[in-house]
Amino acid sequence: MTSATKNDPALLIHAYVDGELDPAHALEVERALAGDPALAAERERIETLQRLIRERLPPMAAPPGLARRIEAAIAGTTERPFFARPFSLPWLFPGAGVRRAPSWGALAASVMLALIVGSSSTWLTLRQGQLTPAEATADMVLASHIRALKAPQPADVASSDNHTVKPWFNGRVSEAPRVVDLGNEGFPLIGGRVDVIGRVPVPTLVYRRRQHLISLMALPNDQAPAVTSALRSIAGYNILTWRQNGTLYWAVSDVAPPDLDAFAKAFRAASG
Amino acid sequence: MVANDDYARFRTVVLPHLGDAYALARWLTGNTTDAEDVVQEACLRAFRGIGGFTGVNARAWVLTITRHAAFTWLGKNRSSALMMVDDLEELERRELSQGAAMPGQETPEAALIAKADAARLEAAIAQLPLPFREALVLRDVQGLDYREIAQVTKVPIGTVMSRLARARRRLMTDIGTDESRT
Repeated sequence: MTSATKNDPALLIHAYVDGELDPAHALEVERALAGDPALAAERERIETLQRLIRERLPPMAAPPGLARRIEAAIAGTTERPFFARPFSLPWLFPGAGVRRAPSWGALAASVMLALIVGSSSTWLTLRQGQLTPAEATADMVLASHIRALKAPQPADVASSDNHTVKPWFNGRVSEAPRVVDLGNEGFPLIGGRVDVIGRVPVPTLVYRRRQHLISLMALPNDQAPAVTSALRSIAGYNILTWRQNGTLYWAVSDVAPPDLDAFAKAFRAASG
Repeated sequence: MVANDDYARFRTVVLPHLGDAYALARWLTGNTTDAEDVVQEACLRAFRGIGGFTGVNARAWVLTITRHAAFTWLGKNRSSALMMVDDLEELERRELSQGAAMPGQETPEAALIAKADAARLEAAIAQLPLPFREALVLRDVQGLDYREIAQVTKVPIGTVMSRLARARRRLMTDIGTDESRT
C-alpha cells in the first residue's frame, strides 16, 4: 500500500468490508463511519453489491467432460517410448485416429502388468523357501526391473538432472541414494523409482545404454544379504552386485556383461 | 517421458480447482468456448510445471497459470483488450491524486443496486476494463483474499485494493443507473 492510498477512506472502506485491515486501521474506519453518512452509505452499497454477486453468480463448475479432455490432452502430449506404443491398435479403430490409441495402449499395458506382477509374485512365493537370501534378493531385483520395463514408464520421476531425482526420494525411502548422471560415459540417467525388496522400499535409479535400460538399486547395508561382488545371469538378464560406501548396489539389465561392468565402474568412479 | 507421479500430483493439485480456473478464464475471455481452450492450455502448462509447485496454495497457483494462459490468448486474439492496461493505470494514478475516489453524490442507493438481475450484473462485470474485472472476479466472485489476488495478478496489495475499489464503483454506477433510465 503506498502512502498516497494509505489513509484514503474511500479506499480503506473496501478493505474494511473485506476484513483486510489491521485493528488500528479498522478502528480508524469505524470512527469515520460513525461521523460520515456518505461513507456509511458507501459501505452499505459495497455490502449490497457483494451480496448481489454471491446470490446472482453462484460458483461455476467446469463443463462436464473438460477434466477428461484435459487428461486426454496430457496423455496425448506424453511420450510413451517403451511399451505403450506396441500395444496401441490403430487398425482396429481406423476412424478413431491417434487420440484413442494411447488409452488402449495404456489399458493393454496395465493388463500385461497385472498378469506379470500376479504371476511372478506367485512364483516367488512358491520358490522362496528353497532360495538363499542372496538368490531371493536377486529374484526380487529382477522382478522389479521386469515390472518397470512392462509399466508405461520405467521411472516414477523422469529426469536426467540429479538435482531433480535425488530430492524426489526424500520421504519415500529411508535414505536418498547418491545420484549421478553418466551421460558422458554412455549411460544417461533416465530417472528414479522406488522398488520394494524384501518389504523394504529402496531407491532405484534408471539408466539407459543405447536401447537398453539399467536399473540400479541401492540397498542399505543392514537390509542387504551377505554377498560379495558378483555377476549372475538369470533368464537372459545380467545382475551385478557390489558394495560401496555402506550400500549394496544391484545393477540389473539385459545389456551384455562387459557393458554392465563398464556401467558399474563408471558409477563407482563418479559417485565414490 | 513423464512420470506417473506427475499425473498423481496433477490430479490432486490442479483438478480440484478446475471450476475456479474455468470461471476465471470465462470472465477474462468473455465466452465459454475460449475459456475451455484457455483452461486446457493452462492445465498443460501446470502439468509440465508441476515439479515447481511448492505445495503452499494450489488454488492461487492454478489461477496464476490460468490467468497467464488467458492473457497469452488475449494477446493473440484481442490485443486491444490488453493495450488498455497501461493507459488505465495512468488514469488510475491521476484520479487518485485528484482525490476523485470519494463517493460522489450521483451514486445510486443500495436498494437500487440490489434490484439488478444476474444478466445485468454479468454484463456490467464483463464491461469492466480487464485489470478491474480480474480483481473484482477474484475477490467477490471467487473469494480470494488481497494477498492471493496480488500473487495471481502480480501487483502490490495496494494496487489490488485500489483496483477493487474502482471496479466496485463502476459496477454500482452501472447497474444502479443504467437500468433506472430504461
